[in-house]
Amino acid sequence: MVKYATRKQSEIPYISKQLCDKILTDLEKAKRPVLAATKCSLDNSQYSPGLGFLTPGSKKVKTELNVTSVQKMSRAIFMLEILLRNVGTGGVNTKRELYYICKGLLKQNPELKPLDFDDQSESDSVIDFICEILECYREELNCYANDRGGQTYSQHLVVTETMPNGEVAEIDLSKLGTSPFMPKNRPQNLRLSAKKKIDFCLVVESEGTANTIVANGMTRRHKCIVIGAQGVPSNAVRGWVKRIQDQLEVPIFFFGDLDAYTLQNIYRTLKAGSAASLIRNKDFSAPEVQFLGVLPEDLKKYDLFAYDVNAGDASEMRSIKKARDALENDPFFRSRRNRGLAKILEWLIENRKRCEQQAFFSVDGKDPQIFEKIILEKIERGSYV
Amino acid sequence: MAKKKASTITKSSTAEYFAKNLQQVGFSSPVKAVLTTLKEAVDNSLDACEDNHILPEIEIKIKKLGAGALRNTDRIELTVEDNGPGLDSKQVPMVFGEYLASSKFGKGRCSRGQQGIGISAATTWALQTSATGAKILTKCKGQRKALSCMVVTDLKNNKGIVKDKESVSWDKPHGTRVSFQFDGRLQLNGEGGILAYIRGNLLLNPHMSLRYQLPDMEVQYIERISQQVPQIPPALPPHPHTMKLGEFISHAHLFNKYKLSEWLKKGFSRVSDKVVNEIMSNSGWKGKGKSALISSLSDDDFKKIFSGVQKTQLKAPSTQSVMAVGEDALALSIQRLGATDYFSVVSRKPTICDMKPVQVEVAIARLEERTGDSENPVSVLRFANRVPLQFDKSACAIVKAISSVNWKSYGLRQSRGLLPIGPYIMAVSVISPFIKFKNASKETIDAADELVAEIRKALMTAGLRLSRHLKREHKAKELEAKTQHIEKFSPILVETLCRILNAPKKRKERAELGLKKILGRDHKETEKQLAKAEEKLSEHLAGQKKRFSVFQEEDSLLSQDDESTEQDQEAATNGQEAETSEAENTKGLKKTKASSKKKASKKVAKKTTKKATKKVAKKVAKKTAKKSTKKVAKKTTKKVAKKTAKKTTKKAAKKSTKKVAKKTTKKSNKKSVTKKSSKKKSKK
Repeated sequence: MVKYATRKQSEIPYISKQLCDKILTDLEKAKRPVLAATKCSLDNSQYSPGLGFLTPGSKKVKTELNVTSVQKMSRAIFMLEILLRNVGTGGVNTKRELYYICKGLLKQNPELKPLDFDDQSESDSVIDFICEILECYREELNCYANDRGGQTYSQHLVVTETMPNGEVAEIDLSKLGTSPFMPKNRPQNLRLSAKKKIDFCLVVESEGTANTIVANGMTRRHKCIVIGAQGVPSNAVRGWVKRIQDQLEVPIFFFGDLDAYTLQNIYRTLKAGSAASLIRNKDFSAPEVQFLGVLPEDLKKYDLFAYDVNAGDASEMRSIKKARDALENDPFFRSRRNRGLAKILEWLIENRKRCEQQAFFSVDGKDPQIFEKIILEKIERGSYV
Repeated sequence: MAKKKASTITKSSTAEYFAKNLQQVGFSSPVKAVLTTLKEAVDNSLDACEDNHILPEIEIKIKKLGAGALRNTDRIELTVEDNGPGLDSKQVPMVFGEYLASSKFGKGRCSRGQQGIGISAATTWALQTSATGAKILTKCKGQRKALSCMVVTDLKNNKGIVKDKESVSWDKPHGTRVSFQFDGRLQLNGEGGILAYIRGNLLLNPHMSLRYQLPDMEVQYIERISQQVPQIPPALPPHPHTMKLGEFISHAHLFNKYKLSEWLKKGFSRVSDKVVNEIMSNSGWKGKGKSALISSLSDDDFKKIFSGVQKTQLKAPSTQSVMAVGEDALALSIQRLGATDYFSVVSRKPTICDMKPVQVEVAIARLEERTGDSENPVSVLRFANRVPLQFDKSACAIVKAISSVNWKSYGLRQSRGLLPIGPYIMAVSVISPFIKFKNASKETIDAADELVAEIRKALMTAGLRLSRHLKREHKAKELEAKTQHIEKFSPILVETLCRILNAPKKRKERAELGLKKILGRDHKETEKQLAKAEEKLSEHLAGQKKRFSVFQEEDSLLSQDDESTEQDQEAATNGQEAETSEAENTKGLKKTKASSKKKASKKVAKKTTKKATKKVAKKVAKKTAKKSTKKVAKKTTKKVAKKTAKKTTKKAAKKSTKKVAKKTTKKSNKKSVTKKSSKKKSKK
């Protein structure tokens, strides 16, 4: 069986030292050490409808020590030392900060100058490489990305957070006024409870639209949670939605644009994870999320404004091409379980149309609640995939 | 209702047409006017010299006389002087003042000038912008005095008018000097600059010596490097398949007194008795048969014969009318552009493209002065019949061919469909008696598929030769990078690992040793690869040397008497090779004019001229070969020497210690044995 469980933070120092010891022993024997990392790409992705998220296949990327890889390996071991220090002391850093920490250390020690990074992308790839070798989340190495997206609004949700010092903080979202709750990069530390039974959770692609429907009173009128995804969901959003799914057991709906990019890059990542993060999809995907819209049938039913895909726009054409590739190669869209989603992609390729989520506001320009009404109607009608 | 006014139809002369459309012949801007005037004057001089077997000595003077009458222009005086045969007084107004008066029009020879438009257009430009014509000074061989005059164009009648005619004394035995004063703007640098034109001319005319003086510059003199006047093969009769019906009929009327079969055989190339019979049977025309007089045939008869010609399969046109510079001369000539650290020249065999004979030559050089210029596209020098083309390059067949080659596979950087990038010069010369230009100013060669494919082939051969050098360079760089990597990263990697593990010193030392061994293996592998690349390159250089050292051996003959016998043989074989290759080119000439005396005199002339050029060739070949190999050789030998020294000392030390150990153990063993035996003896 393919392994998709990841390491816990407590295991990391031991595993790292084991790895270093193996490299050193190999070197002593004048034997080339080999670092094997899980291959994180679509061709090594597997999708099982039972699990509901993308898991890594058996392919490994092996890096053997030679003249060309000696720099990469030296950088990885150098960065590993810094990360292990952080894990030991409880220090936390972002990728950007780690880049500057490395720059500082390299500046202080001229002998280490050959390891110097030209830009942050180089140090980022070294961090990712370490995660792939150790098969752990970046967060387990106390390295966090900037929090983005996931603004959550609800009148009935209570979040309990256990702090690193053991203290417990309780956050009642109904008492935050107009401010949303922002999930952190490590939502696994959060516990959720509902004051009253929550009917559904709505994840909206556009953060602005999520704000609008909350401002218009949706969360006051209905027992629901509204989340703004802010484009491609970050780890925080993915982990947070997964938490809601597991702990609250409420139906979750995603609402976004009707185009290939939204389906492939935003919705698929939220529901089943991504090929680039195969080792973390288990805790960072919510397989029960359903696609509420915009659906192709909505265009007719609500007479929505739709645009033709601009053949002169390279990015739009690229997304159509990627959609075609996805139907052929992406195990998520090839699965029978997701036949409905694949049909939407086929429709997009065939009709070359795109429709934005805000188009629902055009149905009745005088009614500010029209968006909310349509969403509820769709949920009641079961008009989702 | 008013009557419609009848429009009057007027007739205008050729000169009037060109005077109103000078942009069509290269005078579209003040900058181009200077270059076109220079180009036309130099082309005429070179053609005249070559036609009369004179080694050209050209002198160019360009002066700024003040502000021009047109806005943003200077009044420029441009003078070109040659040592050609000179012009007689009747020819002067026709050459410089009359349009379409040419000795070469439609003759199908590889001459620079073709239609007789260019220099007359220069006179018209001078007339229009400064109200002066072309000032001429010319003297033929044997004349005491030279003719000095001013030629202007009578535009209405398309005639040259001679003014201020006088006889003057000129110390030159023969030659022509033409001087124009006109409004123009002088551009020296860049692809469309005067200097680029001069460089191009120097590259493709190794037999030309040039003296030039440009504003704010000292006089420059560039000596010829070949003493051989290129012999332009005579024009061959047209190939029947290159003609249209109208041309076919008018061509026939030039042979009115001939019989049909005689006209077909003499008037066309590739037509024999057998082919005539075939044409007759294919045409289905019986009429008066092949012995009918041309004058007796009607247009309907010609139509039938023409269809017979079209149905008949003929041999492709002959390539004998094509003449190229040759790889040897190009190799020498390229050195006149500046110091090169590498060059490659390719001269393709003449071939047929679109039923026309064509020969393509390519020279690729990396100039030392441009080595830092690695981010810009290569500079392209285009030539058509040895004339540099400097404008409208994007649509040109040469540029299309260069862009279509995948230079990445030869080690150059290139974005798809664009010119490659790097400090190189790519010179491509297309030679043909019928080059298809896109415009009358002859700046762009039409990109016909067959021609582009032929140019591509030449470029790819040159690219292949270039890639050998680049591969060697790449391997040398890789080796250097690898040695640096070993020195840089091995201590860091081991030290960090030991720090994480708190490993003892012994482990650290062992790991460092092991790492060096591992990386050393990679290093050795690269060294092997470099050695292979070196070997291939040296083979290539040796081949190149052989090709370009035709003269080298002979030269050394003179200086080294001791090795005379061996070198005599080599020179003889090389001489034969040179003769055979030349024989291929000038077969047509020899067939018609060959006489034993001429052959003998030619051989003597060749030998004498070769000797002079070989000296230069020798220097060039030596320099390039030495430069490239020395650098790498030094590096690698140092490294290898160090390593081997280390190894040998280690081995020696090991061996000596082993030996000493063995000896001592043996001695101690012996001692112990003797002690034991003595003890035993004593016991006994």
